[in-house]
Amino acid sequence: MTNQTTQRRPQQLEDSDVQQARNDTPNAIVAVRNGSVTYDLENRDAMVLDDVSIDLKRGEILGVVGESGSGKSMLANAMMDAVEEPGITTGSVRYYPESDGNPVNVLELSRGELQSVRWEEISMVFQGALSSFNPTMDIRGHFEETLTAHDYDVEAGMKRARQLLSDLHLDPDRILESYAHELSGGMSQRALIALSLILEPTVLLMDEPTAALDLLMQRSILSLLDDIKEKYELSILFITHDLPLVAGLADRLAILYAFEIAEVGPSEEIIGNSHHPYTRALLKAVPTLETPPASMEPIEGTAPNPAHTPAGCHYAPRCPLATDACRTETPPWDDVNPGHRTACFHPEKVPEAIRFDGGENGS
Amino acid sequence: MRYALKRLVQSVLTVFVVVSASFGLVRLLPGGPLDYLRAQAIQQGGSDLSVTEINRRIAAQTNIAVEEPLYVQYLEYMGAIFRGDFGRSIWYEAPVTEIIGPAIPWTVFLTGSALFLAFTVGVSLGAFMAYREGSRFDVASTGIGLVLNSTPGYVVGLLFVAFLGYRLELFPTGGRYASALTPGFSLPFLTSVLHHGALPILSMAVVGFGGWALSMRGNAVRVLGEDYLRSARLRGLSTRRIAMRYVARNAILPMYTGLMIAIGTVFGGAVIIENIFAYPGIGFYLIQAINARDYPLMMGGFILITVAMVIGITIADLTYGWLDPRAKGGDARESY
Amino acid sequence: MGGLTPARKEVTHVSPTEIPDEADDASTEAVESEPSVNNEARSAITGHAHTGRTPADGSAVSAFEQVAHVSMTEGERRRQWFEERVLAPARIVWNDWRARTGFIIVVSYLLMGTVGTVLVTAPQPNQGELLIGAFRTLEFPLGTTASGTSILSQLVYATPSMLIMIGSGAVFTVALGTAVGTLAGYKGGRLDSVLMTITDIMMTIPGLPLTIVLATVLQIKGNPAVIGILITINAWAGLGRAIRSQALTLRDAEYVEASRIMGMKTPTILWGDIIPNLMPYITMSFVQQARAVIFGSVGLYFLGVLPYSSINWGVMMNAAVNRAGATSSPAALHWLLLPMLTIIVLALGLTLLAQGADRIFNPRVRARHAKTIGDGEDDEPDDPTTTTTTGGF
Repeated sequence: MTNQTTQRRPQQLEDSDVQQARNDTPNAIVAVRNGSVTYDLENRDAMVLDDVSIDLKRGEILGVVGESGSGKSMLANAMMDAVEEPGITTGSVRYYPESDGNPVNVLELSRGELQSVRWEEISMVFQGALSSFNPTMDIRGHFEETLTAHDYDVEAGMKRARQLLSDLHLDPDRILESYAHELSGGMSQRALIALSLILEPTVLLMDEPTAALDLLMQRSILSLLDDIKEKYELSILFITHDLPLVAGLADRLAILYAFEIAEVGPSEEIIGNSHHPYTRALLKAVPTLETPPASMEPIEGTAPNPAHTPAGCHYAPRCPLATDACRTETPPWDDVNPGHRTACFHPEKVPEAIRFDGGENGS
Repeated sequence: MRYALKRLVQSVLTVFVVVSASFGLVRLLPGGPLDYLRAQAIQQGGSDLSVTEINRRIAAQTNIAVEEPLYVQYLEYMGAIFRGDFGRSIWYEAPVTEIIGPAIPWTVFLTGSALFLAFTVGVSLGAFMAYREGSRFDVASTGIGLVLNSTPGYVVGLLFVAFLGYRLELFPTGGRYASALTPGFSLPFLTSVLHHGALPILSMAVVGFGGWALSMRGNAVRVLGEDYLRSARLRGLSTRRIAMRYVARNAILPMYTGLMIAIGTVFGGAVIIENIFAYPGIGFYLIQAINARDYPLMMGGFILITVAMVIGITIADLTYGWLDPRAKGGDARESY
Repeated sequence: MGGLTPARKEVTHVSPTEIPDEADDASTEAVESEPSVNNEARSAITGHAHTGRTPADGSAVSAFEQVAHVSMTEGERRRQWFEERVLAPARIVWNDWRARTGFIIVVSYLLMGTVGTVLVTAPQPNQGELLIGAFRTLEFPLGTTASGTSILSQLVYATPSMLIMIGSGAVFTVALGTAVGTLAGYKGGRLDSVLMTITDIMMTIPGLPLTIVLATVLQIKGNPAVIGILITINAWAGLGRAIRSQALTLRDAEYVEASRIMGMKTPTILWGDIIPNLMPYITMSFVQQARAVIFGSVGLYFLGVLPYSSINWGVMMNAAVNRAGATSSPAALHWLLLPMLTIIVLALGLTLLAQGADRIFNPRVRARHAKTIGDGEDDEPDDPTTTTTTGGF
C-alpha cells in the first residue's frame, strides 16, 4: 500500500477477504475500515464519524488529535463497539489477538463474545476519572466486581491490582479503601488506568485521560504511561485535543478534522513536515516560549456540525487554499512519505502557503 | 462513630428544646393555659376554694408548682417529663401517660406502614418509569403521579370512608379493631387490626407514592446518564448488579432528605387521618384535647408525637450515614 | 448586579446544532460574539481563552489584544432585559402544555379571588332550597348546603383569604429558608454549625401538630396572613437545609471568589452571586410551599382546630361531614366533593407551574426562545438528540 499513490477514498474492502485484510494491515492489532457513526435525527442524518480507516499497530502509541466535536471519542468507542444508542456504527473493526492469527470482527460479535473482548482484550480509560467511579462504592469494589463479572480469580486479580497501583506510584492500601471523592484528580485518574488494566488487556484506548488535570500531573502521567506500556505490553490509542502534549509521547499521530482523518503519519513527520492545511494551522496556534503572542493565529471560522458537514473536503470552508474541487469532491489520500499520508488536493502547496516559526524543521 | 454520636446528641437536644418550649407555652404566656386552668378550677370548686388548693390541683395537672421560684418550676417540670409523668388529663381525669401511652404503637403502626408502602411502591414504580422513559407507561404514570401528588391524604381518606366504608361497607369506619376481640397474637385479632388499619394507611400511602415515584424517576434518569454507569456497562457487570448497586443506590440516596421531611408530613397527616377514621392514636387524642381545652393532654400528645418523629428521623439519618460514604465527610470548611 | 453569574453567560451559549451553517458563507465579519463551542477547542490548543477573532484581511491585531467595541444604549439594554426576563419565559410557559395548563389554572384562581367576589353574590343561609345537588339548577349550578347556601358562592368567597394565606405562608418560608440556607452555606464555620443545629431541631418537630398547639395556646384570631405563617411555622427549616447544600457548591465558584477578593460584603455576594443562581430552586420551593399551605390549612380547618373569620374550603368540608353526614349520606356528598375538587385542581395547577418553572430556568431552553430578532424559525422543535450527539465528544 505504501507504494501506491493517491488512492481514492473510500477504500474498497471485501469483508470476507480476511487474508487480504491481513496484508492490508501489517502489524496492526486493531484495524478500522470505513468506520462511520451516524445518528438518525428527525429529518436528517448526523454523521459523527465519517468513513474513517486507521490502524493501531502492535506496541505503538497512536495519538489521535482533534478539536472537541471532531469525532475522536467516537473513533475510540467504535473500536470496542461501545457507541451509545441511538448511534449506529458501520464499517469494520478487526482485532488481531495474535500477530499472525485470525482477526476478531468486533462489530459483529454477540453480547457474550463482546463481553470477553471488552476490558479483557480492549480496554478504555475515560475522561473525567472522578465521574467514572460509582460514588457510593470504594475503589476496591470496582476492581472486585470487574474480576467477578469476567470470572477471574479475585485473589490473584487483587494482587495484580495492587501491583498496578504501585506501578502507577500509588499506595495500594490507601487507594483501595478510598472512595472516588476522597482522591485527588491525578490519583483517581491513575486508579482508573489501573482499573482498565485489571483484566490484562492488550489494547488500551485512552479518551482525553488527562484533560481535567493540571500540566504537571499531565506530564507525570504521560511519563508513567510509557513505562506501563512496556511492562504490560500494551498498544495504546491516545485521544486528545492537545497536540503538543501527545507529540512527544506518540509514535504516530492521526489528525482528525470534522469526523474524518486529515492526516496521519509518524509524529516527527506530522510536527515537522505536515502537508495538510489544518494540521499546519493547528501547529501555528500552539504557543511556545519563543513565539510572541502576536504571531499566533487562531483558525478562522467554526467547525461544521454533524448534521451539516460540507460536501467535499470538510476543511474547505476554513482553508485559505481551497479551490472549487475542494468544495465539491472528497480529497484523495496523498502519500507524502512512507507511512505519512494526507487528505488534500494540493499537498505540495501547503508547506509554502502556511508557514510557522515553531518546529518547522522538526522540534 | 463520631457521626452517630453527634446525631444522637442532636436528637436528645431536640427533645429537650421541645419540652422546654412546652413549659414556656404553658407557664409563661399571659392569658395562656395556666390562667385558663385556674379559672376552671375556681368555677368548679366555687369561691371557697383556697389558693393553695387551686395551686395543688394545677400542679397535679401540669407538673407546675406555681408558688415555687420559676427555675424550680422549670426543673421540676422537666424532671417529671423525663420520668414519664406528663401530668393529668382534665377531660379523662386520668394520667396523660395512661391515655396516650397505649395510643403510641397504633400511630407508629399507621405512619410506619404508610411510609414503607409509599416509599417501596413509589421507588419501584419510579425506577421502572425511568427504564421505560418516554413510553406510554411512563407518560401515563407521570400523569397519575402528578394528580396524586396534588391530592391531600385526608381527601383520599374521606373518599375511602364515604365509598368503601359507608357506601359499600367493605371496611370499618372507626376504631383500631373489632371491640369484641381481645388483643393478642390470634389470627382474628390480627386480621381485624389490618382491616381497621387498611384505609387509614392506604389514604396516607396513596398520596405519597406519586411523589416518590416522580422523584425516583428523575433521579434514576439522571443516574442512567452518568459516566460511571457507562463505565460499569463496558466493564461487563451484570444487569442486576448495575440496577441494584449502581442505579438504585445512587438514585435513592438523594431522596433521604425527602424521606425525613416525609416522616414529618406523615406524622402531621396522621393527626387528620386518625380523626377521619376515628382511630384512637396520638393525633386523635391531640384533637380531642384541643376541643376539650385539655392542656395537659394536648402538651403530652404533642411531646410524644415529637419524640416518635425524632426517633424515626434519627434512624433514617443513621442509616443514611451508613449507606452513603460521602455523608461522613468532615464539615471542616473554611469560613468566610 | 451579578454580571459574573454563569446563568448570564449560558444565555449566549449556543448548542452545536444551532451553530449557523457557515459552509456556504465563508465571509468573515468581525463579530463580537462567537459560538462558544469552538472557542473551547481552540483555546485548549493555544492554552488561552479568547473571544475575538483575527480580521480576515490579516491586519496585525492579535486575538489577545482585541477588545469588544460594542456598547448598548440604555433603551437597548432595557429592551434586552425585557426580552430575556419577561418575553422569553412567557414564551416558554406558553409552549409547554404543562406550564400553560398550570398557568391558566393559577390565573383563574387569582381571578376567582378578585373579580369572582364581585360577580358572584355573597353566600347567605336560605338562598335557595336545602341540599340541592350539583348541576341541577341554573341558579345554583353547584348546588346548595344543608342551610340552603349556594356552594358556588361559598367556594368563590373562600378564595381571597385562601390566596392571602398561601401567599404569606410561602413568602415567609421561602424568605427565611433562603436567608438561613445561603448564609449558612456561604459563611460556613461556626455560623453554619449554629444555624444548622437550629434548623435540624426545627425540622424534627412535626409541623401540623405544632401549628395546632400554637394556634390553641396563642389564641390567635382568624387573620389569614397570620394563619398562613403559622401553618408553615417550621417548613423553612427543610428548605434552608436544601438551599444550604446548594449554596455550598457555589461558595467556592470563581466568580464568588472574585467578589470576595474584591472585598464585597456578604449580603452583596448573597444577593448578587448566590441567590440568582438558586432562583430555579427557590421558585420551585415557593410553589411547593404554596401547596403545603393549602393542604395544611384546609386539613386543619376541616378538623375545626383553627380560628376563621370567613368561609373556607376546609370549613365547608367540616360542615358537610359534621352537619349533613356527607360521608354517609349521598344527598350531601356534593357539598364535600366540590371543595375537595377545588383544592386538588389548584394544587395540580401549582405543581404543573413548578414544572414549567424548571424549564424557564433551564438556560438552553431559554436561549432558544430569547433569539427573536432576525430569526424566522424560532420555534424549532425540541431536538432530543442534541445531548446525545454532543455528549460523546
